[in-house]
Amino acid sequence: MIESKEDELRERFTALRREDAAGLPPFSKTVAAARGRRAAPGRGRLLVLATAAALVVAALVFVFRGHDRPHMTIDLAAVRLHAPTDFLLKLPGADLLRTVPRLGRVGLDRRTL
Amino acid sequence: MSPEALEVELERLHPAAFGWALACCGGDRAAAEDTLQASYLKALDGRARFDGRATFRTSFFSVVRRTAAEQRRRRALWRWLPMASVTATPDDGPDPAVALTRSEGTRRLLAALVRLPRRQREVLYLVFYQDLSIAEAADVAGISLGTARTHYERGKAALKKQLDGDRE
Repeated sequence: MIESKEDELRERFTALRREDAAGLPPFSKTVAAARGRRAAPGRGRLLVLATAAALVVAALVFVFRGHDRPHMTIDLAAVRLHAPTDFLLKLPGADLLRTVPRLGRVGLDRRTL
Repeated sequence: MSPEALEVELERLHPAAFGWALACCGGDRAAAEDTLQASYLKALDGRARFDGRATFRTSFFSVVRRTAAEQRRRRALWRWLPMASVTATPDDGPDPAVALTRSEGTRRLLAALVRLPRRQREVLYLVFYQDLSIAEAADVAGISLGTARTHYERGKAALKKQLDGDRE
């Protein structure tokens, strides 16, 4: 039983081998193509070279354009932050709270009495 | 081995090597031809050494297996490169035109083999397709004899189960 099962598998693989052999490329053509690969750079090598060249160009463009750009300096000490909710802190008569009253000048004018 | 003798050996082995390359490339004919060319180049340039410890057949099959794995990794890497879409090739797998010329039995066998783990598939291919012993298959796959035996038994059982399941 086991033997027959194994024979069946072997037969199936033999059929597969026969079908594969029908599309077998000639040996001379395969060897010639292999020798041709030695002379010509492969597709992968070209792809890597093209990618490396593109990266170098991108890096150069980034470096040189970066120098041409005018610089804008920011004085951090002069910066005032205005939050969007600042208006909530504005009260009527708020300027009275920010100034100190001058007590010496306050008095009654006798002429108006 | 002289270059002339090497070429004679490679020519003698060519049909079997192509079958093995097809198995390593999941039935993709273009990838198999590519793998075989790269393997021949390694052999002819002396980058693959045949030191006589194993037979020439098992040594060369080992080279084909490693080359197919390298090319699989390279293809996976290309997908990540920014310009990969420029030279994109169709997905790996059996060619639809070739699949149409297959007999029903072979098509079912290939479908069942695809579902097996890679190691089991490799050992079964080497034993049933290439008529190698389990020890020689272990040598090609780069695994111990015991591991190869386990893969052989499990793979055979899984393949039979799948083929019987298809029949029902």
